[in-house]
This record gives sequence, C-alpha cells and structure tokens, in this order.
Amino acid sequence: MMSEQHIIDGCIRHNRNAQQALWKQYSGYLLGVCMRYATDRPEAEDMLQEAFLKIYFNVSEYSGTGSFRGWLRKVTVNTAITYYHRNLRHKHQVDIDEYVSTETGTAGFEEDFYNAEDLCRVLAELSPGYRMVFNLYTIEGYKHHEIAEMLGIDVNTSKSQYSRARAILRKKLEDLARMKGKFS
Amino acid sequence: MTEEQKDNGLEDLFRSKLEENEMVAGSDLEGRVMRRLERREFFRFNISRFNFYYLTAAVTALTVAGVMIFSDPGDEKGPSATGVQQETVTGVTGEAVIAGEGEIAIDDSVQASVAPLTETAAATTSAGVSFDRQPDREPALTFGPPAAETVKVSTIASSGITAASPAALPEIESSVVSGCVPLHVSFACNAEEGHKILWNFGDGGTSSLRNPDYIYDIPGAYTVTLTVTDRKGLSSSAGIVIEVHGRPEAAFEVRKNDPWNEGDRVEFVNLSTEAVDYLWDFGDGIFSTLKDPSHRYADMGTYNVRLVAWSAEGCADSVTVSDLFTDRGMYIRFPNAFVPNEGGPTGGYYNTRTDEESSVFHPVAAGIEDYNLKIYSKAGMLVFESTETELGWDGYHKGDLCAPGVYVWKVRGTYRNGQKFIMAGDVTLLKY
Repeated sequence: MMSEQHIIDGCIRHNRNAQQALWKQYSGYLLGVCMRYATDRPEAEDMLQEAFLKIYFNVSEYSGTGSFRGWLRKVTVNTAITYYHRNLRHKHQVDIDEYVSTETGTAGFEEDFYNAEDLCRVLAELSPGYRMVFNLYTIEGYKHHEIAEMLGIDVNTSKSQYSRARAILRKKLEDLARMKGKFS
Repeated sequence: MTEEQKDNGLEDLFRSKLEENEMVAGSDLEGRVMRRLERREFFRFNISRFNFYYLTAAVTALTVAGVMIFSDPGDEKGPSATGVQQETVTGVTGEAVIAGEGEIAIDDSVQASVAPLTETAAATTSAGVSFDRQPDREPALTFGPPAAETVKVSTIASSGITAASPAALPEIESSVVSGCVPLHVSFACNAEEGHKILWNFGDGGTSSLRNPDYIYDIPGAYTVTLTVTDRKGLSSSAGIVIEVHGRPEAAFEVRKNDPWNEGDRVEFVNLSTEAVDYLWDFGDGIFSTLKDPSHRYADMGTYNVRLVAWSAEGCADSVTVSDLFTDRGMYIRFPNAFVPNEGGPTGGYYNTRTDEESSVFHPVAAGIEDYNLKIYSKAGMLVFESTETELGWDGYHKGDLCAPGVYVWKVRGTYRNGQKFIMAGDVTLLKY
C-alpha cells in the first residue's frame, strides 16, 4: 500500500501505479459522495469518472494544506455542481407535487432505524435542485449565500428550497418508517 | 420535542449516515476511468510517457510513409512514367498514346498480376476508337488508369474538342438547366475516382465534390464549368449554362364600401409586378383568372383571399390575405376613457364626426344586430344601460354627473351573421 504522499507525487508525474492506487483508496468514498448528488447509480458513476479525471489532471494543484481527502471531496462536489448545471436545461424539472408542502408528523428520527442506502434513495427521489441545496447545506456545511453563488440562484431560493427539501425528506422518511414497520 | 430539535435530528441523521458513506466502485468502472485517462493523457505532453507514446507514433508514421512510397505505382514510377507522359502530351495522335500506354501496362504488371491481361485487351480495343463505357472495363480502371485515359483520348479525338488534353473529357449532368429562383440544381459528372474535380458555378461559388448540389438565389444566366485534373496533372474542362429566372411579386389591394353591405361588390386591384397570368381564389370556392376582378360574396363573413401570379417563364408567386373582412364588415370596439360634458347631461346620442372631445362613451361598431351594454360603478351599481350602439353613456346617472374614476362595462350581442359576442372592459371617467 502506497502512502498518501507517494500517491500524490506519483499522480503528479502521471505514474500509472499511483493513479491506480488513488482509485483503489478513494473511489469508494468519492462514489458515496457522488451518490448523494446523483439521481441514480449510472449518473453517480458518470460524475465519479469526471471527478477522477479532474483529480488526475489537477492533482498538482493540491496545496498540501488541509487533508487530501477533503480536497478530493471538494473536487468531487464541484464536479457534481458542474454536472448539475450542464443538465439543468434538459433533464432537471421539478414535479409540481413537490411544490405542495407536506405536513409534518411528530416522530423523531432514530438513527439506527435507517441505513445509508435508505437515505441515498430518498435523496435520489428529490428533484436535483432540492438535492443540491440540501446536500451542500446539510452535509457539506456550506452557508446559504455560498450555495446561492455556487448554483447561480438567489439566497432566498436556496433557503426556501432547503426547507422544502427538508419537509419532503421528513415525509418520505416517515413513509419509509411506516413501510418498514409494516414489513418487519 | 420542538420543531427545531426535530429538524436537527433530520440533518444529523443524514450527516452521520452519509458523510463518510463508502460504496464499492466496480472494477469495470475503474477500467472505464483508466481508458478515458489514457485517451486524454495521450495528447498531452508528458515526459514520463514520452518514450512509449511518441515512439509508437513515430514508428507508425514511418511505416505508413514506407507503405505509401513503395505501393503507389502511378506517381512513383520514376523516369519511364514521366517519359510516357511527355509523349502523351506532345504527340496527340492515337498511336503515340497507345504506345505509351503499353509501356505503363508492363510497369503495372509488377504490382498486380491480373492487370496485364486486362490492359492488353484494353489497348487492343482502344485502337478501334470507341470504347467509352463498357461495363467490364471497370476493374481495369482501378489497376491501370493510363489505359482508361487512352480510351478517353480517342473519344476526344472523335468529338473534336480540346484534343490537346489527354485527360478524360468531363461530361456534366444537371438536374435542370433552367428554373425559378431560388433554383436548386443537382450536378453530376463522369469524372473517375481519384481525379481532382473543381466545379465553378458561375456566381463565385465552387465545389470539389463529385456530385454537388447548388442553389442559385439570384436570377441570371450562369456558366457552370467543371475542371477535372487527373493524377498526372492534366486537366480538361466542360461547361454548361444554367438559367435562373426571377419570380414575379404578387400583391393586391381590396376596395369596398365601408361599412360593407350585403350584396356589395368587392373590387380587387392587382398590384403584382412582372407577372402575366393570374389566379384568384376568393376564399368562398370561386376563382378567377382576370387581372383585376371584382367579386360579390354571397354571405357576409371572413375569407382568405389568395392571388397566384405567374411570370412569362412560368415562375409563380402567391400572396394570401387571411381573415380579409373580419374587421371591416362586423366589429365592435370600445375606448378606455372619456370626458363627460360638465354642463349637464347630453342624452348620450352622439355623432361620430362631431364627438371629437369624446364626451360620450360609445363603441365604434358595424354589422351589429343585437346589442346590450351595461356599465357598473366600482361598487357594483348599474349606472347605465343601452340596447343601441347609437346611444352611448354621457357620464350621468339619474341626472347627476358620476364621480371620476374607473367604471366597468360589459356588452353582449349578435353580429348580423348570427355570431354572438360578449366583451367586458373598463373605462375611466375623466374630468378636465
């Protein structure tokens, strides 16, 4: 197993072994990131490919400050944003029923009740705009004004999409809980 | 549990489960990424890969160059072939050419063992002047272009045109030789494979395609020339004239009484230019070929009138006016403001010519059978009603001038052809 520094240096020199090692070590993690942003697995794999190509050609730009893992994730998230923008026009449309705000239940969320696969699935059911905002805000931890800038939308749009996304997710998780309760 | 806590619960759930969520990327995916990576790296200069890629490229280039040098019989034959060429150019007689061709056929036999037989046959036959398009010659063409040229020379000699050029005399085929602008012409020629083709379309346009398509959009006569250059650089050309006729311009005017009454004749004034024949379609199933017809419509209504005009060359242009009489025969429109006479009620009857100050709110209408106008104040009170278009509102209600502001009107009625109309709008009562 190559050390992180070895991998970085090797990738800068376009060394094939180092590139493969980079893939082995981080592809699983970054695919997980892509899954959060994608509608389905093939889309996530497309994103991942693009992200890795970006990484391979721009690895020399990693400054060394901050974790390499974090840098990789940032590149991947940026790729997802680019992907979102590119598909904005022809693919991404919001279903009208998503605009109908859903009433909230009262149950809290038991962490152990849902697994990552469930969460990815409910995320994938969101429309891409909502998913972007929710991901960037909740998991990546960006502020609304940063998200607005990244996605080219208004700050208030970001906020309102976020709260709608949250309402929809809550509803979907509750439905899921009911389903699970029924079948388990 | 408050709303705030619950939402944080949702966020925490997603963060804890997904932030470090790892998935297994398949090995096929790795393969795809690596292939894309290789393709992109290939065109980037990269010192660590220099040997492998650029050596491969160099070896490939050298191989290709080598293959080209040793396999091209026509260009690389050296002195003997050039000598033949000279002979062909200077001596125009058929014998000289046939002699030269024989030599080349021998040269070619080095390359393709099938060739000599065909070549010899060709040479023998070509002495008998006409050997132009025999189907079984096609394979011979691929092996021995010189033979083909010889045959063509004899053709040239017999047809007596530009005998100095030994290259095949090009023949032009065009889909049309004359027509109306914009004229689309498909050209075709009999040039052989491998010969350089240059079309000049006579208006500055050129093409090197074998069978080009061209569109002329300016009228005129164009001389199209086709120049074919063979592998030895000998060229010959042919020409054809394409005539492009201009189109007439169809236009007309309608003259009729206004308001239009049942049984009135409508005069059509033809304003077409450069046209000699006409066809009118009055839209009610009646046609005319007169230049300036007049027509009486049996029913009042709206019609699409079409005029087609032809020039002497048979080029046509047409103009269609849709819904020609919609507005003229039957219409109703309302203004959106008026200024009542403050001196007192005028009664509401008005004269279109004298009501220049628009002191009465009334429609501009024609062809109305039934009519009912109601005007309401903003509070919803009916302030005026009329059942004749000649009676408008003077701005008074029960003898008092209404307050300035917006009033809502609604009108319903029937045109004289039975068509119903309902309209609504608002009008502003103004005060000087």
